[in-house]
Amino acid sequence: MSKTNEQVERLPRLGHRPNYVLPEEELLLQGHVACPGCGASLSMRYALKALGKQTIVVIPACCWSIIAGPFPYSSLEVPIYHTAFETTGALASGVRAALKVLGREDITVMGWAGDGGTFDIGLQALSGAVERNEDFIYVCYDNEAYMNTGIQRSSATPWLAWTTTTPTAHPKDEPKKDIVAIMAAHRIPYVATATVGFPEDMVRKFQKARSIRGAKFLHLLSPCPPGWRAEAADTIRLTRLAVQSKVFPLYEVENGEKYTITVWPEPEVPVREYLMLQGRFRHLTEEQVEMIQQEVDRNWARLVERARSGL
Amino acid sequence: MPKHEAKVIVFRSAAEMPPMPASVATTLYNKTGSWRYIRPVYRERTPPCNEACPAGEDIVAYLGLVADGRFREAWEVLRRENPLPGVCGRVCPHPCETQCNRERLGGAIAIHHVERFLSDWAAEQGLTPPPQRPTRRERIAVVGSGPAGLSCAYHLAGKGYPVTIFEADPLPGGMLRTGIPAYRLPRHVLDREIAAIEALGVEIRTGMRLGGNLSWDDLSSYAAVFLALGQPLSRKLDIPGEEAQGVLHGLSFLRRLNLGERVEIGRRVAVIGGGNTAMDAARVARRLGAEVTVVYRRSRAEMPAIAEEVQEAEEEGVHFHFLAAPVEVLVQDGRVSGLRCLRMRLGEPDASGRRRPEPIPGSDFTLEVDTVIPALGQEADFSALPEDIRRERGAVAIELTGATTRPGIYAGGDLATGFGTVTAAIGSGKRAAIAIDRTLRGEALPEFPALSHNMRVAPRPVSPEVVAFEELNLAYLRPIPRPAERLRPVPERLGDFGEVNPGLDTETVVAEGQRCFSCGTCNRCDNCLIFCPDVSIRRRGDWTNAYPTYPYFEVDYDYCKGCGICASECPRRAITMEEELLWRK
Amino acid sequence: MEKVITGNYAVSYGAKLARAQVIAAYPITPQTSIIEKLASFCADGELDAVFIKVESEHSAMAACIGASAAGARAFTATSGQGLLLMHEMLHWAAGGRHPIVMGAVNRGIAPGWSVWTEQSDTLAQRDTGWIQYYCESNQEVLDTVIQAFKVAETVYLPAMVVLDAFVLSHTSEAVDIPDQELVDRYLPPFRPKWKLDVDDPHAFGALVTPGEWFELRYKIQQAMNEALEVARQADAEYGRIFGRQWGLVESYRMEGAEVALVTSSTITSTARQVVDEVREEGLPVGLVKVRLFRPFPVPDLVQALQGVKKVAVLDRNLTFGQCGVFGEELQAALYNTPLRPPLFDFVLGLGGRDVTPETIRQVIRHTLEHDAPEEPIIWVGVKR
Repeated sequence: MSKTNEQVERLPRLGHRPNYVLPEEELLLQGHVACPGCGASLSMRYALKALGKQTIVVIPACCWSIIAGPFPYSSLEVPIYHTAFETTGALASGVRAALKVLGREDITVMGWAGDGGTFDIGLQALSGAVERNEDFIYVCYDNEAYMNTGIQRSSATPWLAWTTTTPTAHPKDEPKKDIVAIMAAHRIPYVATATVGFPEDMVRKFQKARSIRGAKFLHLLSPCPPGWRAEAADTIRLTRLAVQSKVFPLYEVENGEKYTITVWPEPEVPVREYLMLQGRFRHLTEEQVEMIQQEVDRNWARLVERARSGL
Repeated sequence: MPKHEAKVIVFRSAAEMPPMPASVATTLYNKTGSWRYIRPVYRERTPPCNEACPAGEDIVAYLGLVADGRFREAWEVLRRENPLPGVCGRVCPHPCETQCNRERLGGAIAIHHVERFLSDWAAEQGLTPPPQRPTRRERIAVVGSGPAGLSCAYHLAGKGYPVTIFEADPLPGGMLRTGIPAYRLPRHVLDREIAAIEALGVEIRTGMRLGGNLSWDDLSSYAAVFLALGQPLSRKLDIPGEEAQGVLHGLSFLRRLNLGERVEIGRRVAVIGGGNTAMDAARVARRLGAEVTVVYRRSRAEMPAIAEEVQEAEEEGVHFHFLAAPVEVLVQDGRVSGLRCLRMRLGEPDASGRRRPEPIPGSDFTLEVDTVIPALGQEADFSALPEDIRRERGAVAIELTGATTRPGIYAGGDLATGFGTVTAAIGSGKRAAIAIDRTLRGEALPEFPALSHNMRVAPRPVSPEVVAFEELNLAYLRPIPRPAERLRPVPERLGDFGEVNPGLDTETVVAEGQRCFSCGTCNRCDNCLIFCPDVSIRRRGDWTNAYPTYPYFEVDYDYCKGCGICASECPRRAITMEEELLWRK
Repeated sequence: MEKVITGNYAVSYGAKLARAQVIAAYPITPQTSIIEKLASFCADGELDAVFIKVESEHSAMAACIGASAAGARAFTATSGQGLLLMHEMLHWAAGGRHPIVMGAVNRGIAPGWSVWTEQSDTLAQRDTGWIQYYCESNQEVLDTVIQAFKVAETVYLPAMVVLDAFVLSHTSEAVDIPDQELVDRYLPPFRPKWKLDVDDPHAFGALVTPGEWFELRYKIQQAMNEALEVARQADAEYGRIFGRQWGLVESYRMEGAEVALVTSSTITSTARQVVDEVREEGLPVGLVKVRLFRPFPVPDLVQALQGVKKVAVLDRNLTFGQCGVFGEELQAALYNTPLRPPLFDFVLGLGGRDVTPETIRQVIRHTLEHDAPEEPIIWVGVKR
């Protein structure tokens, strides 16, 4: 299948080093309390590398409320406002308004919320903020459940996954909410997916977001070893498999219309390879895996068509 | 907020606190390393090429340097272990490449071309090993200036010993000179590498034959003796007609030619055998204008000759009769008039593991040839050796150290191991040099591996576990094809004894270095540093002003949580996760 | 400059003169005209502020907090349901020590939609750490908004200025709108010490363990205590510059009073009138108006009620399971003082039911006729 556009991310430089070139500055400090292998901590590391010091981060209730470190410590070299669960979009709007009045448009405002605070309780404030085209970057690091409170299901939890509120006797009935489609429907300048297994793609997308005025939404797949019942050492591998199996395609949507696939899944792998590394899918039957495969293939075909036709 | 201070904040009163919960310090106070139960350790492992090289070269290390264009350092690493890379790069069957993990993803690295390039490049640059004046009193005698002897002398000279090599032939080099034709190993390459060894102070005395003008008494004044007599005798055909004129044994044929004699052969030649000597004889015969047929009793797959040799022979018009064995040399007027052969079929495997050829009765046929060149293998000549140097299975019996049953006498190369390759001989010479040096110093001998394994004079602390292809993280590795050979066209080749394979150009050689996976050996790809969620891997030292030294990275164990992502994403398995408790003693 | 404006517009002018920089607001009856006026000030360029048309009141307060945290002077307005929806974030504003000012129009709490006046909505926020002023007139509203910014930005607590639905919000009165220059002299620009600053980064609002929490709460209370004096001085200074001051508590005809009516908001105006009348009739009745409700001005009330034999609190609010809030708070304040006259708590006018002079006379009558309250709540005007 031919590539539909030029913006295809180059695969890791091979044979020789380095595999990835990222900005060198580290704005995430050690001593943060993320679980070993946490996708969310690595995501923040890359996000801040991309955005730099002139960034204010707004964090609602989520794992990062804790990862950042308790009072009176912080694990970031940029300012953070910890806010109530549902308020990320609104509080960030307020910060941006103040910066506008104070003449500091050079500062990036970034909301950094989990899937619960984005897909569920925070959806209203998010929709309101992006509908107003507030000039900020809203990042949802999606570990696909309410992990901070102990692995309860959210509307971002994938179909048939185990969580504590969707036990294996009755795993999640509903498909994962398509947050990118919802954001694209707001016709904001930039929506994109990214994940830590593809650091250069992620950094490029953050930098692109930063360069655009208006509302930007980034959806990051963020493996959670305890919540996904996966090995901590597998975090990068899982995101890679998620992309290669097309469970989590890497793409951009500009102005709600222009779709661009930024990393082509290569090699393509069956979803089984991705699922079998995670205990939260261990109870799946062959039939269910096949159904998931079909659903993934359908979604991928639709995405490819959109990317091809620009709709 | 204070930067990079790891301090704990204690508020003694409400007045000391900020009015709202605002941070006043960083999380650096929190040494999350205490969470670990396993920790990542940079532990290099053995790549299959290093494991396979009989001469004990540190292949992965010099490939890495070549990848960076650091030829001088690469040459240093190479010649420290092997004084004859120009030779090996041309004639070694390269078991390193057979084992290379890259074979499964585009084609093995052309290591032998890199090796030969480095030797040729160093020669162009006028580089030689650093001069070494003797620092030890003990004089060492080496008997035989083939690869084993040269290697042993080189390493002992490098350790400060005055060494004398006694060589029976008029020119040094042993089989390198007399057995291998110039189109495979140009004379100037052999000469320059021998000259480099002599430049270390090694004395080579030619025309000195043990048991002839060199006696055991002469050797008794040396502190140690290394016997590297090789296998100069040809195995006999053992068929009627063997004594006829026109039957020239392969070794003898090549030797006379290589020592400058004009050797007459007929117009139609049958070469018997499937080893390198047979191929060499066949191809030389072609260059002398003959039609050549090789008769081999097994099939092509079982031929011990290097595959490239067979292929190049074929290209040069050598015909092959597989599964055929000679039964009689037909003689007319005392001269060879033909060769009667019998067809064979492959039966059960024999002691060597190869299927035993069984004659098919009644399948006789005759080759119309006027010259027969048997090249059935070589044997050692024990005639000059005293009884107290024990022999075993056609070779001089040696310990793992290379020591024979006579004190002070060591042996190596084909004489003692029969492994039959130049590189193995070089490896055995090095082994004996290490043993001799330690013994003479009164130092404890190191653990010697089995004779079939290599040793280093400058070993790196590397785990002996060999990295298998399945262990590599293929997500970072893609197939890139091996470069094509640039052989001279056949008509040209047959016209002279010039080198058939010119090697690879500089760019391609560097690209080969870069194509290397660097199995088990950190090559600074930065994956570990990039993928650490706890920002706890950093570069060790300043990489901008000096070439980095291993370990290139360091783990900040104060904060590392032991997640294992670094080890998992290392493309080449150069990081191992180890039990934390073992470190906390 | 004098203008005839509604209570709502008085709020708008107050916020404009105070140079609010970020306004985040959501419409709700009967507050809407506050934000409409402010929106037009912003659109016309009369007010250099960013107006965020948020999608709910909860978001409005969140946005104000974000703006204040980033160093801008923030303002909003709401009422009733909107205020209740904001509740979580009101705590956040106070705990975060953000000096946000809000116009809060008192309105009945649903279910049963009520847009008419009742104080229960703002009083239900009394635990949040917000400073609360209850205003009697449109002039007082405008002046109090300006004072609120000054007090809030001194003690770093948010402040709400409360006015009755329709009775004040939609009723026009003559209001003196002060000169911007004078207001600028009174209220300097907002320069918070702790803010979101990329050159001096801090994390605000992280996890606080039992080891540190208590002191932070203590500090909020300390700020509240401080606010009492600061409010007093701010009011006095306002008087010096603008010629008007309102006090934290106002005593009206309390000399020789044996019965004290305690009121707040617009009931006070009606009560003044009735006190005048009954004083003519020789009844020893006086009036104490509570303007500052949080922090509860205990010393001022104790002083105002000296020598009084009975207290009649008029509560246009109710906390279910207890009684009227002003009554409850006053009883609590007086309990440990030597001043413990019988206190009658009258609950009246809920949901906009009219409080007429007759209603107040009823209150006075009942108080005079009883030695002590027979029940915790004395209901006035309810068809029982």
